Amino acid sequence: MSAALLSAILVTTIALQALLPARRLLIVTLGAGLACLASTLLGTARTSEILADVPWDVLVILVSLGLLSQLVAESRLFGVLAARACAASRGDPRWLAIVFTIGMYVMSSLVNNLTALLLVLPMLLKLFKLLGVSQRYLTWTLGALLVACNLGGAATPIGDFPAVLLLGSGSMTFSGYLVRAAPATAVGLALLLFLVFGLVRPERDVEKSPISSAISVRAVSALYRHVRVDRALLVPSGAALVAMLVAWTALPTSLGVTPEIVCWIGASAALLARPKLAEKLLRRRIDVEAVLVLFALFVMVVAVRRSGVFGEVTRAIEHLPISGTGQLVVFLLSAGVLTGLFSAGPGMAAMLEVADGLARTQPPGAVYVGLALSVCAGSSLFLTAATSGPLAQALTERADLRSPGGEPLRFGFLQFLPVGLMSFAAIQIVSIGYALLAVRLGW
Amino acid sequence: MSATLPRTLEQAYAAVVGELGMASAGWLFVSEVAAHAGDEGVEAFADELGATYPVLDAVARQWLDGRRAPQINAKGALDALDGATHVVIVGLESLHLDGFVAAAPAELGISLLAHRPFPVDWERVVANHAGRVDLLYLDSFQSMSGPKSALLGFAYGVHGDRTHVPPLWARVVGADVRAQFRSLVGWDALGSEMNVYPRWLTEVGVDEFTHFVGATR
Repeated sequence: MSAALLSAILVTTIALQALLPARRLLIVTLGAGLACLASTLLGTARTSEILADVPWDVLVILVSLGLLSQLVAESRLFGVLAARACAASRGDPRWLAIVFTIGMYVMSSLVNNLTALLLVLPMLLKLFKLLGVSQRYLTWTLGALLVACNLGGAATPIGDFPAVLLLGSGSMTFSGYLVRAAPATAVGLALLLFLVFGLVRPERDVEKSPISSAISVRAVSALYRHVRVDRALLVPSGAALVAMLVAWTALPTSLGVTPEIVCWIGASAALLARPKLAEKLLRRRIDVEAVLVLFALFVMVVAVRRSGVFGEVTRAIEHLPISGTGQLVVFLLSAGVLTGLFSAGPGMAAMLEVADGLARTQPPGAVYVGLALSVCAGSSLFLTAATSGPLAQALTERADLRSPGGEPLRFGFLQFLPVGLMSFAAIQIVSIGYALLAVRLGW
Repeated sequence: MSATLPRTLEQAYAAVVGELGMASAGWLFVSEVAAHAGDEGVEAFADELGATYPVLDAVARQWLDGRRAPQINAKGALDALDGATHVVIVGLESLHLDGFVAAAPAELGISLLAHRPFPVDWERVVANHAGRVDLLYLDSFQSMSGPKSALLGFAYGVHGDRTHVPPLWARVVGADVRAQFRSLVGWDALGSEMNVYPRWLTEVGVDEFTHFVGATR
């Protein structure tokens, strides 16, 4: 009874927030409250016990990394890099798309996806206006950019929430995750570039004009003519990040200095470099929406875990009449599809509980990194599966782009679908391929 | 020198005109069109976009008359501000602002009124001036008023005793504001009359400024 009701609350909440993203905060906070109430009344666990099990360390990491991302953003690094990327591409639509896709992968591996997208997309959309692009070009280029964003987020333990959760929960060490996930996501990126820019070739129907190319490069240079990176801000932020990376990699576990403490102190040290700006960021720029959504999801997942449901799911997978490797493949495919339907946060939070069970019989690296890659695949399936999708949609609508014929250009759910299906398949193949290889080699 | 004009030049110009300024963006576009499509291309460009963007049209006509760069009389603008310790700039012309900031003495405070009819990334605008320029907003710019403060607005061409300014200037310079600033300086950023209806701009008398700076010295 308890397990069924709590699971129903979790699934209903996740489904509702996916269906009504504009009411997401209200839905998940209400769902979390109901989960606590049901759990208390049914004797599964008291609210204080559920709250004690919430992985606060993950939330600390998320907030700290978000603040560090904001500091780097304030240094104007991304704008200057975007302008240089434009100059390097010489206004050629094909190279522009490739350079920005690779750049987005690198950036989102270091800062959170939303920050990376918010800083780069307005510049890119302006470039699209300068170049005069087609609907097909817009769809595939922005689509590839979002998928690259997801891949970059999965490349490092600090890139995006799923990997942060693995780091914060202690499922994997920083370096353990990095050496496995970075190469795998790089393979995913190479596959994406080949499929989009080698086979689909979205630039094929863009009207190429030397005038447009020259104007694009000159106009962007003019916009950034004297903009310089604020080194006084970037250097302390970069130094703090490097120090954090060293601490995550080198500090022995026995010391008890856990990843969230490293992150907390590192971000605080970086903020000290600009106290006035730091105060502004702390008061106004913390992503309260992300924190609240994850907190509520954690509460519901903890309640469901205490009812024993995840243990039963793990046992059900373990009892499938197929090999252990086959069970892992089933798990990874399920994680990808569930993430596509319910988005990355809920997908990862719920599936990690099952992954912990599978990791007892399979190499943990294969299970956890495979899971992170599958969640990445799922995040790339639909435009609504990752938070960066609706943001890209909103920014594109606001930009009011037009084709050379004057028709309005759109980037919505349906436009993204072919990119999403192809990317989902490609990254899921990388995920399963990686997991099978890791099992074979015992990683 | 015979490249065909792309069909999206209007969208491209609109994308940057807010941040570069109508005349500054005009010179950028006209020079690139000329480089790839010659004077014929510039003429076609002016015919196509001139009615919508009269300042761009005037820049194209100047190009066809043989002028190859804008005239930026930063010295004249600074002379007109003589005695002021702070200037609030109304309107945006990036080439002129660059010249003005470069020539301005370090002790002159420079603020820019952040208000445009086109999209502008104001953070990027001020980032181009390495801390020399800060932003003011319409509801608070009078905090900078005083006997040592001046208003400087960009104007576009002079015909007789009339000129054209962005509507923002007319909105800013009400009877109350006129008395609050040391001087109201107009600066011609175009240097020629417009041949088509001055869309985006409004007509005012040159004598409504306390000083008017021509495009040339």
